[in-house]
Amino acid sequence: MNQPHPRLPEFKYYQPKSSKEAVDFLTKHADQSRPYAGGTDCFNQIRDKRIHPKYLVDLKSIEGFRKIKFDPKKGLTIGAAVPLNKIISHPKVLEYYPVLIEAAREVGGYQLRNRAALVGNLCNASPCGDTIGPCLTYRSKVHIVGPDGRHEVDLKDFFEGPGKTCLQSDEIVESISFPIPQLGTRGTYQSIGRNKLGDLAIAAVTVLGYEKIDSSSGYEFLLTLTAVAPTVIFVESAQDILKTEPINHSTLEQAALACAEACKPIDDIRSSAHYRRDMIQMLALRGLEKTCGLLNLPL
Amino acid sequence: MELIKIQVTVNGSKEILEVPPNLSLLNMLRENLTLTGTKSGCEAGECGACTVLLEGEPVNSCMVLAVECSGLSVETIEGLSQEEPMKKLQKAFMDLNAIQCGFCTPGMLISAFALLRRNPDPSDEEIKIALLGNLCRCTGYERIISAVKKAARR
Amino acid sequence: MKVNPNIPDLIGANVQRVDVQEKVTGAAVFTDDVQFGRNLLFARIKRSPHPHAIIKSIDTSKAEKLPGVKAVATGADFPNRNGLYLKDKHIFARDRVRFVGEPVAGIAAVSEEIAESALDLIEVEYEILPAVFHPIDAIKPDAPLIHPDLGKYEVANFIFPKPGTNISNHFKIRKGNPDKIWAACTAVVNRKYYIPHIQHVPIETHVAVAKVDRTGKVTLWSSSQSPFAQRDLIAKVLGMSPSNVRVIANYVGGGFGCKAGVTMEALPVALALKVIGHPVKLRLTREEEFYTNFVRQALAIELKIGCDKNGNILALENTMYWDGGASTEYGVNITRAGGYSCTGPYDIPHVKADSYCVYTNNTIGGPYRGFGMSELHTGIEQCVDELAEAIGMDKVEFRMLNAVQDGDILATGMIMHPTGIKECIEKAAHAVEWGKPSEPCPPNKRRGKGIALMWKAPAMPPNPGSSATIKLNEDGTILLGVGGQEIGQGAFTVAAQIAAASLGVPVESIRVVGPVDTDYSPYEWQTVASRLTWSMGNAVKAAALDTRRQIFEIVSKAWSEDIKDLTIINGLVISKASEREIPLKDFAVYGIPNKDFEGWVGGPIYGRGSFMPNYVTGLDKDTGQGERAVVHYTTGAQAFEIEIDLDSGKIEIIHAVSAFDVGRAINPDLVRAQMEGGIVQGISSALFEQMIFKDGQMQNPNFVDYRIATTVDLPKRIDSIIVEVPQDDGPWGARGVGEHPMVPTIAAIANAIYDAVGIRMEGPPFTAEKIFTHLKMKGS
Repeated sequence: MNQPHPRLPEFKYYQPKSSKEAVDFLTKHADQSRPYAGGTDCFNQIRDKRIHPKYLVDLKSIEGFRKIKFDPKKGLTIGAAVPLNKIISHPKVLEYYPVLIEAAREVGGYQLRNRAALVGNLCNASPCGDTIGPCLTYRSKVHIVGPDGRHEVDLKDFFEGPGKTCLQSDEIVESISFPIPQLGTRGTYQSIGRNKLGDLAIAAVTVLGYEKIDSSSGYEFLLTLTAVAPTVIFVESAQDILKTEPINHSTLEQAALACAEACKPIDDIRSSAHYRRDMIQMLALRGLEKTCGLLNLPL
Repeated sequence: MELIKIQVTVNGSKEILEVPPNLSLLNMLRENLTLTGTKSGCEAGECGACTVLLEGEPVNSCMVLAVECSGLSVETIEGLSQEEPMKKLQKAFMDLNAIQCGFCTPGMLISAFALLRRNPDPSDEEIKIALLGNLCRCTGYERIISAVKKAARR
Repeated sequence: MKVNPNIPDLIGANVQRVDVQEKVTGAAVFTDDVQFGRNLLFARIKRSPHPHAIIKSIDTSKAEKLPGVKAVATGADFPNRNGLYLKDKHIFARDRVRFVGEPVAGIAAVSEEIAESALDLIEVEYEILPAVFHPIDAIKPDAPLIHPDLGKYEVANFIFPKPGTNISNHFKIRKGNPDKIWAACTAVVNRKYYIPHIQHVPIETHVAVAKVDRTGKVTLWSSSQSPFAQRDLIAKVLGMSPSNVRVIANYVGGGFGCKAGVTMEALPVALALKVIGHPVKLRLTREEEFYTNFVRQALAIELKIGCDKNGNILALENTMYWDGGASTEYGVNITRAGGYSCTGPYDIPHVKADSYCVYTNNTIGGPYRGFGMSELHTGIEQCVDELAEAIGMDKVEFRMLNAVQDGDILATGMIMHPTGIKECIEKAAHAVEWGKPSEPCPPNKRRGKGIALMWKAPAMPPNPGSSATIKLNEDGTILLGVGGQEIGQGAFTVAAQIAAASLGVPVESIRVVGPVDTDYSPYEWQTVASRLTWSMGNAVKAAALDTRRQIFEIVSKAWSEDIKDLTIINGLVISKASEREIPLKDFAVYGIPNKDFEGWVGGPIYGRGSFMPNYVTGLDKDTGQGERAVVHYTTGAQAFEIEIDLDSGKIEIIHAVSAFDVGRAINPDLVRAQMEGGIVQGISSALFEQMIFKDGQMQNPNFVDYRIATTVDLPKRIDSIIVEVPQDDGPWGARGVGEHPMVPTIAAIANAIYDAVGIRMEGPPFTAEKIFTHLKMKGS
């Protein structure tokens, strides 16, 4: 029986002003430090005694970490400490990446979204994190800096398992970048929780669709599933169906079935594997139907 | 434990404090400054009873460290109660009996206040979403939503 | 005449709550807001990780040496047992632990962190015992015995434990002979339901601060529904006299029953005894609040109910196994209440009921809004629904036919008093347009309507008293002293209205004195059972009338006039005969001078009143029969229209209606506020809430995984209907309604689900997943 701390236990606090300062510190105090931005994930983990860092490294003061940059050719760059509410209200995000906003709105309540940072959510790598699906489906990259310099990782290669990413203990993510989606991209985030809103996702599907001349169906769809596997997963089988078969109700249903078959849900206190599987099928179909509607695709 | 010197503007007043790193903003307000209007309900960022404005935005103060607030401004129910937009909200709450035990009320008012500041004429749906992070066990929420609507209309 | 003739009638007026100004500004003081100064110590509790184990040894020596630790306490120092109706609980576990989370030791230290670190230094050796987690298992002869000394426990004379078993109360009703009647029934329904544990989830967790001074007097500041009961019980368990314990009770941030009686409050008192002069504070974390204190008992209920061809219910057999948990000091009375109210609000001639309170190694079951009624009605009202269907009768009509009426002989032999239940049924049914099909909805949705009735009596010992005091000030304000607590229900406001109306003063002049302080406030049994408006209201009215009598005696003497000609309007004493008048404030303290100041009449005026029902009788231990089981019943009905999304199983509540007979609504808006809050809490318990246990350990003690209703989970429309059939001994006919709006909700929703998609489930919560899974099994 693990009783959480009544209040946050002792730790030291360090506030680097640059990525270099942060990395130097983490290198020196590797495995004793926890970098953080919003704190919404890590404070609870500390309180629940799941982690016991000696140092909390607050990344919010690092130059550029709280900025959102948009370039009409290069795309969107979101700094590591940008909270969800800032992303939700950014006009360029609404214009180019609306599905990210749909998902971000599902996270907790307004107060939480003023602190929870998008990058932080990703680094937390929860299998049911709402924002992960859209970030993955929009083909984002994370920009990492460590003692050996900077490198970038496609988000699909970033996650290793529940709560695990490829980030080393002496590295931090500086930002996440999103390429400009193909013109005419439409999509949706469909999720289900126990209440109407604000719950963790029991199951969720992210769909993006766009015209693709060289695919037999004339379209390409990207589908990711949340909360039904150790990490958020693309459903290649469904994507293939939607590439090759003409887009109609039957194809969508097949694709939805493929999603149900591709997922690996578990039983836990929130839901059962079989319900999750059924919901994935239902949400995938709903998501595809909605996306086709947004694409003005007659079914 | 080391203490860190911070300077936080609370309800317009500059406070200079020496605090341990693990002190939450909530406990800084309640214990160091005896501003007990802000309440503790879960210490996990879920119930919203601890909501305050940090740089004008509502946050769960149990999930913010005092040391993170150095150089920033915090507003609590005690400070905001002096200002007119909040007074309209408070009057609407009182008129409609949107209060029972009163424990969720300060946090609820702060979330509602912040909503009306960014969206002066919200729909019922928008009010509900803005207050989603404030749990109430007594009222059933309906009167709270009506009170926010009423205050918006004045 | 300078008096305003259009004085609003305060009874039935929507007077603004007297506590709201403080609450909206954050000025309202709750227990954790009280400032205690620099010698305040902080307590943390070491708790059992096992559901059932013998304590072989406790070594606190290392903890005692930790710098900053000022006191350590274990059960070794506190041999007495505590409890309201059955003394089966120690402050700290002594020989054994009986549930996960049971206090085993406590630390008081200069900071919460040090206290917590010290807990890790306490070494406890356990020998694990087999545990039992379901009342039906616990009742088996080979079940592990959780309280082997049950026979030695002090117990109230209306509770019947079975020593040598895990049964701490067995309440029986034997009326008529159901076994002989089944054959005469045209339809019989036989069902089992299981209603799981839920928790009250007050937004303010339990908090208590105790200080013992050098004379040995204990002062306890606590978030409490029961300051006087806390005083008595804590004094008893420590072997003190009640006057040596003083309880100061500030505003309560939500109670719902969990802050009744004594639970964690005894812990800081125990520690404070070891650090004389230091206040010691214990505040439960949200996680501790969920499972270490009080929860609503789970219930396994087995029902058999039958009616004749015309729909008259003839017989009921009701067996209830209440999961009392590790201690049933309070739960035994829930069992009793479930027993004597076992029929629901129906006239049933033949009744056999067995209500068992069973010890298990689960969390302690205690009073929860409804006191067993929600769990009971979840079973009864679904069976009544089925029975109506079985004989092809409309479900509202069936209920109208069988609903209890004035003059009916109840299951205990008590004669029912006048009640508006039929009016409640009609109005609730009318509001949801019963009988009219729902609006058409898309093919993947189904709509349905359901109705459920309820009744509840205040569950109290036979002699629960209320009292009140009135003190007139020289500025026209009036201090109203009460012992009941403002826990959000509006008790202080209603008390002020009653006092003002009875006295003849503006309601704004009444100040309800708080915090309630057992040294200064008049006695009140507990703020539970929806009893304050009725019982404390009577005491307040009596105190006001006593004050009025004193006022008239003084004025009639000073003016040489007949008391019959005097009245008080708006704070002015007026003679209808001579038209003389004098403001109360002019003489309330200083008296009235005679002509030319030759002597004085009167002096400080202080009124008092009390109320205690004196007509409740005992019930036979074998048949449950007695002349007057309870003081009265509040009855009501709820009706729902819901829509189910077949694709996900999710329920949308289109329309939720409450109709309750409150006798007389002293403050109608506050009554409606109770109905709204109650129906939403009921919806939450019907759709979302469940304590999930594994081997006695709660798996979801946090808001992430214990879901409660939020702003977006509301019904599209809520209607709250007040029905008034006066209660003979209520103030202006008033009865309580605080708990009742949560009682029929689960059953009404269950009945609506059945109407929509034809499924019934074993019990709540009716989660989307459960509904979807049932629909899938049904093949729809």
